[in-house]
Amino acid sequence: MISFKNVNKWYGDLHVLNDIDLEIAPGEVVVVCGPSGSGKSTLIRCINRLEPIQKGELVVDNMAVHDKKINMTKIRADIGFVFQSFNLYPHMTALQNTTIAPLKVRKMKNEEAEKLGREVLTRVGLEDRIDHYPAQLSGGQQQRVAIARGLCMRPKIMLFDEPTSALDPEMIGEVLDVMKTLAREGMTMMVVTHEMGFAREVANRVVFMDEGKIVEVAPPNDFFTNPQTERGKYFLSSILSH
Amino acid sequence: MLEAFNFRVILEYMPLYGKCFLATLWLSALSLFGAILVGIIACAMRLSQSRFLSRAAGVYIESIRSTPLLAQLYFFYFGLPTLGIMLPEWVTGVLALTLNSGAYYAEIIRSGIQAIHFGQIEAGIASGLSYFQRMRHIILPQALGMTIRPMLGQAIVLVKDSSLLSLISIMELTRAGQLLTSERFMPTEGFLTTAAFYLIIYYMLKAFSNWSEKRLIFQEAY
Repeated sequence: MISFKNVNKWYGDLHVLNDIDLEIAPGEVVVVCGPSGSGKSTLIRCINRLEPIQKGELVVDNMAVHDKKINMTKIRADIGFVFQSFNLYPHMTALQNTTIAPLKVRKMKNEEAEKLGREVLTRVGLEDRIDHYPAQLSGGQQQRVAIARGLCMRPKIMLFDEPTSALDPEMIGEVLDVMKTLAREGMTMMVVTHEMGFAREVANRVVFMDEGKIVEVAPPNDFFTNPQTERGKYFLSSILSH
Repeated sequence: MLEAFNFRVILEYMPLYGKCFLATLWLSALSLFGAILVGIIACAMRLSQSRFLSRAAGVYIESIRSTPLLAQLYFFYFGLPTLGIMLPEWVTGVLALTLNSGAYYAEIIRSGIQAIHFGQIEAGIASGLSYFQRMRHIILPQALGMTIRPMLGQAIVLVKDSSLLSLISIMELTRAGQLLTSERFMPTEGFLTTAAFYLIIYYMLKAFSNWSEKRLIFQEAY
């Protein structure tokens, strides 16, 4: 579904992605973790070309994302992206936030889009918040609207960039529950997160990154109980010690 | 003072003032509409990835903002005919006002756009919305909503600037005052009446701004 081959990216002199090789199968849930600045956000932002790559091949759903000539609109419509800071449109209600892309990109009819929006917002547990504006919602509710916005496009892949890092602790659970349900329903997901409980429960593999390289790829239980690299051991001890 | 103030002559000139009031109204309205349109386009060019478009818009905005409107007006009025472009006076006047205020609107709208968190634009890109769809549905509604007050300020400036059109012999409110002054030598009556009509336009604009602020700025959204 997603295939990185020898992918490289630089910001000036900084080598943010260094020879990335990674294959993600349909229906797989992959958690990406690593210290700050290790390139994990950049890695998933390359998949829908929010960031272009400079070298290597990146193929998503049989489309060559590394090819500068390719039109990204269709691929992007098929990939849901959830940001750390939610990035909802503040002048639109929850329902309008979820229906804008189906209406404008998929050219769906009004009633059809509204029905879909209500259905998806209900799925993320926000049936009583449909006509609220983002500023009237809690962080956890806003992030669930953002997930619903992605799901309304009936995506083939969902990408999450630290979806719970900006949330108060008591709201993390409600967002993770929605994500776990999605994972169990067979959605292909790539999630940058440090939520180890989530990773253990639903991830097929954990990708550990450091300094732009993939250091370790392992099933979550193996990685958390017995990391194979010194860097992995050190990272786990530093996040688990508090 | 009231004895010195000749109301009879003002009444006598009222039909002229009425006509000139309407002229100022529609000349300003046309220029305002054009200026906001020019402002949106110039602003989009200024913020575009293309260096050429951005520079071109920059030159336009800078040169308008750094020169007096009167000089620009004379440039169009006297300069264009020497280039073989003959336009009716009112077209020249509207063109000058449009291009002048357009540069200021470009900067006002830019401030509104740049106040929008870039993450929203990224979210639009990520869901497959095109540049124009993002502009139309995400960026402009917020940028225009947030800048209603400075936009109103510029609209008032534009109405007042339209008085300069009297200098290229367009019949509008200031010209009416000049006529009363020169025909009857009554500058106080002439220009106070002119001022009163500008005040009416000001209150009309203010009422519109208050109404549109309630409609366009989604108070519950912020």
